[in-house]
Amino acid sequence: MLNFRFIFRQIRSSHKQALIFVFCVALSLLTLVSLGGFSSSVRSSMLKDARQLHAADIIIHSHYPLSPVLTTAIKDYEKQGLATSAVVHEFYSMTSNTALEKSVLSHLKVIEKGYPFYGKVELASGRDFSEVLKEGTIVVEQSALDRLGAEPGDSLQIGSAELIIADTVIAEPDRPVSFFSFGPRIFVAAADLERLDLIRMGSRIHYNYLLKVNDPAMVDRLADELASVAVAPQERVNTFENAESGVKRFFENFLFFLNLIGIFTLLLAGIGIQTALGALLRDSEYTIGIMKAVGATNRFICSHFILMIMLLGTFGTLLGLSLSFLLQLYLPALFGGILPASVDLVIAWDTVFEGLLLGTAVVGLFSFMPLRRVRNLKPAAIFRKERGTAGGRLAQYFTIGVITCFFTGLTIWQLEDIATGIYFVLGLVGLLGLNTLITQALLRIIRKKRPRTLALRQAFRGLFRPKNATRAIIITLSASLSVIFSIYLIEQNLQATFIQSYPPDLPNAYFLDIQPTQRQKFSTILGTEAQFYPIIRARLASINGRAIDREIERQRRRDNLSREFNLTYRDFLLDDEQLIVGDSLFGNRIEELRQRGEVPVSVLDTVAEIGDIRVGNLLVFSVQSIPLKARVTSMRTRTESQVRPYFYFVFQEETLKAAPQTIFSAAKMERAKLAEVQNRLAKELPNISVIDIAKTIEILARIMHKLSTIVQFFTSFSIIAGLLIIISSIFATRLARIREAVYYKILGASSGFVLQVFTLENFLIAMVCGLLAGLIAQAGSWIVCSRVFDISYHPLPGRMAIMVGITVLLVIGVGIGASLSILQQKPAGFLRDEE
Amino acid sequence: MKVRITKSAGKNLCKLLLCLLFIYVLAGCDRQDKPSSNNPQPVAPARIYEGTIIALGDSLTAGLGVAEEEAYPAVLEEKLQQSGYNWQVINGGISGETSSGALTRINWIIAQKPDIVILETGANDGMRGIPTWVIKDNISQAAKLLKEAGVEVILAGMQMLQNLGPDYTKEFAAVYPAVAQEQKILLIPFFLEQVAGTPSLNLPDFIHPTPEGHRIVAQTVYPYVVKAIQARRLDRSAKNKKNR
Repeated sequence: MLNFRFIFRQIRSSHKQALIFVFCVALSLLTLVSLGGFSSSVRSSMLKDARQLHAADIIIHSHYPLSPVLTTAIKDYEKQGLATSAVVHEFYSMTSNTALEKSVLSHLKVIEKGYPFYGKVELASGRDFSEVLKEGTIVVEQSALDRLGAEPGDSLQIGSAELIIADTVIAEPDRPVSFFSFGPRIFVAAADLERLDLIRMGSRIHYNYLLKVNDPAMVDRLADELASVAVAPQERVNTFENAESGVKRFFENFLFFLNLIGIFTLLLAGIGIQTALGALLRDSEYTIGIMKAVGATNRFICSHFILMIMLLGTFGTLLGLSLSFLLQLYLPALFGGILPASVDLVIAWDTVFEGLLLGTAVVGLFSFMPLRRVRNLKPAAIFRKERGTAGGRLAQYFTIGVITCFFTGLTIWQLEDIATGIYFVLGLVGLLGLNTLITQALLRIIRKKRPRTLALRQAFRGLFRPKNATRAIIITLSASLSVIFSIYLIEQNLQATFIQSYPPDLPNAYFLDIQPTQRQKFSTILGTEAQFYPIIRARLASINGRAIDREIERQRRRDNLSREFNLTYRDFLLDDEQLIVGDSLFGNRIEELRQRGEVPVSVLDTVAEIGDIRVGNLLVFSVQSIPLKARVTSMRTRTESQVRPYFYFVFQEETLKAAPQTIFSAAKMERAKLAEVQNRLAKELPNISVIDIAKTIEILARIMHKLSTIVQFFTSFSIIAGLLIIISSIFATRLARIREAVYYKILGASSGFVLQVFTLENFLIAMVCGLLAGLIAQAGSWIVCSRVFDISYHPLPGRMAIMVGITVLLVIGVGIGASLSILQQKPAGFLRDEE
Repeated sequence: MKVRITKSAGKNLCKLLLCLLFIYVLAGCDRQDKPSSNNPQPVAPARIYEGTIIALGDSLTAGLGVAEEEAYPAVLEEKLQQSGYNWQVINGGISGETSSGALTRINWIIAQKPDIVILETGANDGMRGIPTWVIKDNISQAAKLLKEAGVEVILAGMQMLQNLGPDYTKEFAAVYPAVAQEQKILLIPFFLEQVAGTPSLNLPDFIHPTPEGHRIVAQTVYPYVVKAIQARRLDRSAKNKKNR
């Protein structure tokens, strides 16, 4: 039989704890549902961007006309209504304005109807691209007009055809795919392809077959089928998701980060609920003891407490769901300006359902342990102020096992990859284990300390008083803090790598093949500040007498040491460089080296890692068959992973000045100015090639910026939610400490003294947790950044310190907040209530 | 919509862009160099050759995409040795190099005192649409400097990709015979004879020969090298007589 009055009375008597539990459940659900819902809309928006970057679902690329089998397969799909295709021929050709006798190398894209399947080719006139590009006309980039002195309406000679300029293109969705282009873009209609007469024996044509798949779910299947019949290696079949574009990995990283936040939030929610529930039930232990003493059965007690948890859990769930709907209503207003328009903040019903299931599962799983404690509570607990045990070890391990399995399952489900999921969970378990070990060790050390000040001594003792779950608090608090710190650190590192790679002053034009004798003249023509990088081609022959094994090098996944390197010389560090070993680039023993026939060289840490190169090592280069013995005098690192040129090996000017070299230059300039420079270069220094990456940078920067705001939003959202969960769980555990205040007062302590003890105790806990969490977060984020994201990692010690500081303030603040009422009360009142 | 995350989920974009820049534009690959790969011992006593040939060129000489032993200079040396010509062929190819770059390093090449230089350059200029007169001036100047230094020059004739348009490709192809005539040097009419445009002899990128393609190139080059060697021998004996 259930006694509802008992339940309500129980809730009322520990209403603060109950409220916190409800709050925790609500908050967890709010975060899970909102994050889940938003991330699915963000995901679809990002996938849309990825599709647009390739203008299709499936892209087949070859330098030869497509093999008949592949063509038949595509035709079959089209017949079955599964897909639509369009062929895009891409190649370079000379385009001339015969009237002015000017010609320029241009990058042609001969397109069939349908291109682009995703995204839009925007024209200067604002007209519809498919309406404008007709047989006999072309659409060109403004720079083609600038270079050729032509205008829309004029005709240009391409191959054997005369074509009329119909419009200028201002944006092309798949531009970043062909990042480096030696000439301006010209769109030609497929109907004119034959008239151009440029596809012959000895032509180098990029045959791109674009496919739009009608059912998005079939993209991978069709791509696999096509790949199985394609002629390897010349025919490459890719989907918009796996095509090697500069943006692919970047998208993957951000999607992965969203998943990561999801898992982290789940973890936080679990911790929060468990702590709050634990505190709630501990608060009731006295009652339970009495009940047991007067003969209540375990079944009676447990069923009542389960019902109580269910009631509170349901209430929290409902509250969380209503809050998330409220959030959905107001978020667009709050973040409308920040979040891109294409991202809808709509919570889908399936996410709500998912959230409900997850919420129930988490409440159920994490309630198990505290409930077992209730079951095993002895009536004698009323008299002995000590904590009941959680019962048999086996049951404890079983619960932990179930929770781990549940969490592993969720992780795999979120990451959609079993191996990564398992590694991830193993990593987390490892870090948590480390956390527990360090906590134990620290507590043992603290326990032995006997400070002189009474308050401090009391604070130290306070940590080890019976019924004071210091160890549990520290472990849970540091675990949840490390989750939050990690989210922050990973986000900052992602931002540093991707977003800050696009500062406004990023060069938008690269100049190749400047000969040393042309440098002066080139500078004059450029008329603006530019960076110059001398490039000397050389290969590494040996490291410390150990010859480079080309076979081994060839197998390396990333860069390898057997390729030709670009050496450079200068006596300063670039803006984005830092010395990590050595006081200066070339050290102070240059003369000594010279006497041994060696020269100093500064090495970038990334290549040092590949070749296990250390300062003091002897590298032998072969500079176009002349051996060069170089002693490593310093190690550099790049502080920001910007899209700027970098060099593995930097020499002194005198070492390489005489070696054959070309100069590479990068500059930022207005479009009109660039056109002028290009025209002058074409006249005066025609050997210099210009690569205009402004368009690409523009598109990439736009996407990155969009993603950056999304990621910031998600990060701050989950951090705020996490903090609230943490605050409530600290509050829950600290409530239990108020009894202490009463005893201090009875013993004659002033409120000030009690406050001092509490603050010190909280400070100790906060410091331990903050530092531990910092340590774990650093380790975890480093692993995620370097192993999963493959980006460079910056530990951001300054911000880490600030975060630890905030943690300390927070814990102290919340701790005081929880005991404030008791500090102001007379102890007698409290004691009377107690009895 | 699900997105699969691979283990190697990410790479920094910047690295990629720069890799693209340096691999695609200035690209480097392996090139024949003397220090043998598996032998950490100090270099064995240098072999004595009758003479030295430097294969000066771009990625077609450097052997982009194939092992250095498979690139044409190595194949050529082997062929020469087999035919009884004890000549050394040094691979002086730099991937991505234009004729301007080749001209800039010509003194560096001369300093290595080669007897013969096979000059193969201009393809990268052509693919970047550099005006043909620039290419012609560069090659002509390079050949002149080599000749003045007493080096026997073999010019590798090149043709441009047909997609660049009939006018440009014609002008481009005309550069080589014109320079050869003007400088009175040996000319290989087309360096990639029987290789260019044949899918099975080229890597998927369409422009760089496969090992088999390099063997054909070596065959194409061989008779001209033999001619140059003979000319060199004649020259030497003439000089010897004069000295006596």
